[in-house]
Amino acid sequence: MIWRYSLAAALVLLAGGAASARAADAPPAASSAYSANGADTCLVCHNGPDIMGLFRTKHARPNDPRGPFGHDGLQCEACHGPGGAHVKARGRQPSGIIDFGHPEVTSVEQQNAMCLGCHRTNAAHDWDSNAHAAAGLACASCHTMHVATDPVRTADTQIEVCTHCHQAQHTDLFKLSHHPLREGKMACTSCHEPHGSSAPALLVHNTVNETCTACHAEFRGPFLWEHQPVTEDCSNCHDPHGSAQPALLKVRTPFLCQMCHEGAGHPSVFNTPQALPGGVPSSLLLTGGCINCHSQVHGSNHPSGRALMR
Amino acid sequence: MSARHSYAWLALGLAGFARTAASADALPDTSAWKCEQCPFFQGYEANATAGAFYARGANDSYGRYTGINRSTVYPDVDASGQYRRADGLYVSYDLERLGLASREGFIAAGEEGRYDLRLSYDGQPTRLYDTGVTPFQGIGTSTLGLPSNWVSAGSTAGMTQLKASLAPVELGYDRRTVALLGRLLVSSAWTVFAGFQHQEKDGTDVSSASFLTQALQLPQPINYVTNSVDAGATWAGRWASVRLSYSGSWFEDDTDALTFANPYLPFVPGATLGRLALPPGNGSQQIAAAGTLRLPWWATTLTFNGSFGRLLQNAAFLPVSTLAGSTVPTPGSLDGDVHLSHYAVSIASRPLPRLSVRGSAAYDGRDDGTSPLAIAYVVTDTFPGGTVLTPRYSEDRVRLDGGADYELARWVRLGVGGELSEQHYSPGQVLTWSQDAESWGRATLIPLDSLSLTLKGGDGLRKTSNFNAAALPPGENPLLGAFNYAPRDRVFYSLTGSWSVTPTLTLSLEGFAANDDYRLSQLGLSGSHERRGSTALTWQPRDNLSLHADLGYQRIYTLQHGYAGAALAPWQVANAERFWNAEVGGEWVVRERWTLNVDYLHAPSYTDTSASEGGLAQPFPQDWTRLDTLRFEVTYRRSAALQFHLRYSYENFNSYDWALAGVGPATLSDVLALGLEPYHHSVNLFGLTVSYRFGARPAGAASP
Repeated sequence: MIWRYSLAAALVLLAGGAASARAADAPPAASSAYSANGADTCLVCHNGPDIMGLFRTKHARPNDPRGPFGHDGLQCEACHGPGGAHVKARGRQPSGIIDFGHPEVTSVEQQNAMCLGCHRTNAAHDWDSNAHAAAGLACASCHTMHVATDPVRTADTQIEVCTHCHQAQHTDLFKLSHHPLREGKMACTSCHEPHGSSAPALLVHNTVNETCTACHAEFRGPFLWEHQPVTEDCSNCHDPHGSAQPALLKVRTPFLCQMCHEGAGHPSVFNTPQALPGGVPSSLLLTGGCINCHSQVHGSNHPSGRALMR
Repeated sequence: MSARHSYAWLALGLAGFARTAASADALPDTSAWKCEQCPFFQGYEANATAGAFYARGANDSYGRYTGINRSTVYPDVDASGQYRRADGLYVSYDLERLGLASREGFIAAGEEGRYDLRLSYDGQPTRLYDTGVTPFQGIGTSTLGLPSNWVSAGSTAGMTQLKASLAPVELGYDRRTVALLGRLLVSSAWTVFAGFQHQEKDGTDVSSASFLTQALQLPQPINYVTNSVDAGATWAGRWASVRLSYSGSWFEDDTDALTFANPYLPFVPGATLGRLALPPGNGSQQIAAAGTLRLPWWATTLTFNGSFGRLLQNAAFLPVSTLAGSTVPTPGSLDGDVHLSHYAVSIASRPLPRLSVRGSAAYDGRDDGTSPLAIAYVVTDTFPGGTVLTPRYSEDRVRLDGGADYELARWVRLGVGGELSEQHYSPGQVLTWSQDAESWGRATLIPLDSLSLTLKGGDGLRKTSNFNAAALPPGENPLLGAFNYAPRDRVFYSLTGSWSVTPTLTLSLEGFAANDDYRLSQLGLSGSHERRGSTALTWQPRDNLSLHADLGYQRIYTLQHGYAGAALAPWQVANAERFWNAEVGGEWVVRERWTLNVDYLHAPSYTDTSASEGGLAQPFPQDWTRLDTLRFEVTYRRSAALQFHLRYSYENFNSYDWALAGVGPATLSDVLALGLEPYHHSVNLFGLTVSYRFGARPAGAASP
C-alpha cells in the first residue's frame, strides 16, 4: 500500500513539476498583481537615460500590435512581469519583477521565457537545443534593451559582445589573414546564427560550403573537374576565423597540399630552407608554391583542367 | 518510504499545480494605461557628421578592407535620421563612411506593425597588393599580352626585356551589394517576406598558370555578378511556428577565360598562348521548410528543418587548347546538376525542473547527378594528355548531437554531451566512410553570485575506412592523411570563468588545450595540438571613467611526415604558430562635455617551421607579424545638438614571409613572379569632424 501511494505521489510530483516548468515559460499574468497605470507608473522612478533609450527602439512602437507598447500591450510589464508588488515595495527586491541580466534575482529560464514568449516567431531558430542555451546564456547576456542601438545588432560593435566569451576568436582578429570583422565590414552573424540553427557550428546555412559560397559564389560549382575536399568542406583547408597563412589556410603551401598529395614525383619533394632566395630558389616552395601551377584548386571548367592547371 | 513521506511528496506536487493555477489569472484591463509619460518619437530628426581625415603612409596593406590606401585627405561623412508620424508611418536612414569605398547605408520605410521596406547598399573594398609588377599588358581584360620587343627564354634570367618591361599593377577588387527587402505583417501570426540582392565584384586578383614546368603569376580580371532572391512566409502561434521559404542565387562571370602570352620559349612549336578558365556562371535554388512545436509537457520544444536544393552549371566549354586545330569537346557544356538535401530534427526538454536535455539529428546529402564525361585533354596548352573520365563526388553526412545539464545545487551544475558524425562517400573516392565521435562533460561552479567557473573536458575518436588505392591518381601514396580525413584521437579541456570582483570590476578568462594524435597516419598529418588562454578585465571606478584590458595567447602546432622515395629517409615538417594580443584602453567623460577615448593594442605572431630528414633539423627563417595600434579620440559636446570629434590613430604593421621576401619577378628561374612583398604599413591618421543633430532631441539624452 505504501509503495502504491509513493508511486502515485511521485507521479503527481512529476506532473506538478512539469506543470511548473510550463508555467515558467508563460508570462506571469495575475491581473491584480499589475501596476495601476502601466508604464506611467514605472516611469515615475525609472526615467534616466539608461532606461529612456528604450523609446528609440522597436520595443516602444505604439502602433505595432505585436510590440509591448502596442495597443493593449502590457508596456514595461510585458517583459518585466507584473509590477504591482514592486510598486508597493517601493522598488525593494524581491518583488517579483523580472530582472534581466541578473540571474541571482531572476533565473535565466524565467528571463528567457519572457523574451521567447514573443520571439519564437522565426521558426528556423532553434534556441532551446542550441549550445548557447545549453551554456546557460540569457538573452540579456548578449542583448541590451534600453539603448537606442543594441550593440550586438551592429556590425561595428557586435564583435565586442561575441568575443567577450569567444576570446579565441578575439585573438583571431589580429592574424595576418582574416575576414573583415575588425574593419566592421562583416559581423559574426554574417556566418553564424547565435539563436540556433540545424547546421554545424550554428551556421546560417545548412553546411559549411553553403555558408561560404553565399558570398564566394564563384567557387560554388559544379565544375567539370572538381577537387574532392573542396566539394566536401571548405574548412578542410581554410580556417575562417583567422590564420597566419595567406588566404586563411590552415598550413602554408606546399605543406598543406603534401598532407594529401604525396607519392611519386614532385608532390613528395622534401622542401628545405636551401630552396629559399640565397640558396637554390624553388618554385615548389616560394610565392604560391603548388599554386604556381595548380592555380585552379577550387575546381576548373576548362576541358584541359584535369590537374587544375587551367 | 513511509506514508508520511508520500504525503510530503503529494503536497509538493500539488504545490506545483497551485503555482500553475495562480499564473493563469486574467490579464489586467489596460484601457486606462495611457502611457502619457512615454516619450514616443514623432516628427523628424537627423544627425549629420562632416569632416575629413588625413591618412599619412596609407597603402594597400593598411587599406585592405577599408579602402584607405593612399596618403591623402579623405572625406569623413555620415548621416542618419528618421521621420515618424503618429499613425505609425515612418522613414529612416543611416549612411556611413560616405567618403570611402567601404561606404554603406540603408533607407527604410513602412508602417509600424504593418509592413516595412528596406533598401541597402554595402561597399566592401579588398586591396591585396600595391607592390606587384608585371610585364603583361592589357590588365583588367581577358587577354594579357607582352611588349612587342619581348625576348622569350627558357628561364626568367634569359628574358632580357623583363626589367625594362615591368610596370606596377594594382591588385584588389571591390564588392558592391544592393539589397531590397520587404516584409508584410499580414496578421498577428502571419508574415510574408521577399528580398532581392544584386552584388557586383570587380577588380584584379592574383592568379597563376604554367606551361609544363614553367610558371607565371598573372593579374586575373574579376567581373562577377551575383543576383539572389529570397521569399517566404512565417506563421507563429503560441505553440507552434512554421517558416516556408525559397531562395535562389545566380552567379555570372562576364569573362569566361583569361588568355595570356607565353613569356618562355615554347616547349613545342606553336605553344605561345595559354588560356585559363575563369569561374563559370552557376545557379543555386533551394526550398526550405522549418518549424517549431512546443509540446504540452516538460517544456518540450521540437524543431524540424528540411530543405532541398540544386546547384546547376551549364556554361559553354572553352576549346581544349590554344593550339591550332583545337576544338570544343562534345557535349559543349557540363550540364552540371548537384542535388543538396538537408533534414534535421531537434528536441529540447526539461523533464525535471533542474534537468534539461536536448538532442538533434541531421542529415546532409550532396548528390552529384552530373554525368561523367570522357574528355581528351591537352596538358597546359602544350601537348595532348590522353582521354579521362571526369570523376564526380557525392557525400552523405549524418550527425547526431545530444547533451544534458543538471543543476545539482544552486552553486553547481553538471553537464554531459556528445556528438557522432558519420560521412559516406560515393564509389570511386579515396575513402568509403569516416566517423567522428566526441563526448564531453562539464561542471559549472557558482560559489558566489559574482563568480562562475566552467570546467569542460572531453575526448574524440575519428575512424575511417581503408584508403582505396585504386581511386588515387597514379603514383599517389595511399598512406596519407589530412586534417579532416586522418584517423584521430583527441583530448581537450577548457576552463572559462567570470568574476565580478566588485560591482565595478569584472574579470573573465578562458583557457583551452587540445591534443590530436593521428597515430594511424603513416604519412601526412601525424599530430597537432592547440593551447590558448585569454583574460579580459573591465573596471569602472567612477561613473565617468571606464578602463579595460585584454590579453590573449594561442599556440598551434602541427607535425607531418613525408616520403620522397624508397631510397630516401622519411622527412617531417613541424609548424608552430604563436599569437599574442594585449590591449588596454579607457574612456573618460569630463564635465559631461568632453569624452576621451584611448586604446593601445600590441599583437605579434611568430611562425616557426622546421624540416628534418634523418634526424637532421633544418629550420626555416621565422615568419612573423607585428601589429601596434594606438587610438586617441576626443569628443567635445558644445550643446545637445552640436559636437566636435577629433581623432588620431597610429597603426604600424610589419611582417616577414619567407615565401615572398626577396622574391622578385626573376628570382625563380621557372616562375615569372609578380614580385609581391610581405605586408607592411605605418600609418598616422588625423581626423576632425563636426556632428549636428537636427530636429527632436533623443529621449533620455543628457545635456551638458
